[in-house]
Amino acid sequence: MSGHGFLLANYVPGTSPLHRAPLWLKFLLVLGCGMASFLIVDWAAAAAALAVMCALFLISGAGLRRLVRAVRPVLPVLAMIGLFQWWQLGGPTAARIVLNVLVCIVAASILTATTPVQRLLDGVASLARPFRRFGADPERFALTIAIMLRSIPFIAGAYSDVRDSARARGLERNPRALILPVFITTVAFARQTGDALAARGLGEAETDTQSGPGAKTQPEAEKPTQPAGPGGHALP
Amino acid sequence: MTKTDGTLAATPARQRSHWNATDLGLIAVFAALVAGSALIAAIPVGGMGVPITVQTLAVILTGLALGPGRAFAAVGLYVLLGLAGLPIFSGGRSGLGVLAGPSAGYIIGFVGAAAAVGWLTVVVLRRTAGRPGKLRAVLLFAAAMLSSIIFVHGLGILGMMVNAKLDFSKAFLADLVFYPGDVIKNALAVTVALALHKAFPDLLIRRVRTGAAVAPAAATHTADAKVDHRP
Repeated sequence: MSGHGFLLANYVPGTSPLHRAPLWLKFLLVLGCGMASFLIVDWAAAAAALAVMCALFLISGAGLRRLVRAVRPVLPVLAMIGLFQWWQLGGPTAARIVLNVLVCIVAASILTATTPVQRLLDGVASLARPFRRFGADPERFALTIAIMLRSIPFIAGAYSDVRDSARARGLERNPRALILPVFITTVAFARQTGDALAARGLGEAETDTQSGPGAKTQPEAEKPTQPAGPGGHALP
Repeated sequence: MTKTDGTLAATPARQRSHWNATDLGLIAVFAALVAGSALIAAIPVGGMGVPITVQTLAVILTGLALGPGRAFAAVGLYVLLGLAGLPIFSGGRSGLGVLAGPSAGYIIGFVGAAAAVGWLTVVVLRRTAGRPGKLRAVLLFAAAMLSSIIFVHGLGILGMMVNAKLDFSKAFLADLVFYPGDVIKNALAVTVALALHKAFPDLLIRRVRTGAAVAPAAATHTADAKVDHRP
């Protein structure tokens, strides 16, 4: 496993109105569906909301197969809950509970299907901005996100290496032999990353890397657009 | 209302600016570790080969290894990015839709559990400073169990009650299936954590001993105040 291919899993490129809608609007849609799921008491209303959300999803051009794929992981659990609540509380209530959860899930997958991951991460990084007056540092926050993304393939690789070497020694049933080396490698990797950052003067709290006042106007959220960024060069 | 939890989870992390580059690296890489643990296949355990998933183990171990502040930031970052849409929750799920599902409580609970076990770890390491032996292992195991029962299972049950509209006893029974695996995972996490602290004494132990960890512990004290009042 290498690269960041897994990050692109949900996004479907397109030019629909949903793709062009600002991120905060789509976020409000998801939030609204979350709130509505507590307020809707009629299963017919929930079904209508679900129909609207599915229609929106299809308008975005992501296609029916993507819609099914977004919902499929929760279906077994929802079926169990639905049957159980049908038995406990009756048909309409069970339908309302299941439909409300589906509304939220479809709404959330509209957001992830029509927004590139980088845009989402920029949105997350910009969350730190209002907290700057309390000592939050959007630069370091974005840097941490970038390092984390860059490290996921390394961790997955460490797991498969350790599993191979445990198998070679006939220890594939020994959980300690399967897990401990991964964590040792991880901590060593983290410290090397920290050293690499420190060597470049990045990530230190006191040293403000932006000397000029003009530098402040740069958008901080640019950082996550280079996931293999600053920490990437000196690492094994 | 749980929607804001994800955003709040990571923002206090940015307020403690005394973290240096190594701390930042540890936070980022442990967040990646929790994500990677959720994505890999389950590991067979024991003669029967019962598969266990490593994710909750990674969460508890983050707390045991890093202490409260950094563990809170690492797991908070993981949850925040998962909610933002990266497919890093178990089974490749992602996005805010997870908060509507029955497992929402567990995912939110990870953040509290990591912080709580980190705080208890600092307490245990300080109390058993002179004699790192069996007592330390047992106390750390108790800390891990306590944190995962209160936060992971507690919030997990709450999540099932809110999202699946189960009543308490039903949710409690549904949650009970996870206990045997949790005992195994927490025991495993403690042995791994002790080995980690032996290999990297400056990870947490030296910070605790020199009192360098006092400041982060105090900084998160308000967040952890729940922990010592509730049990």
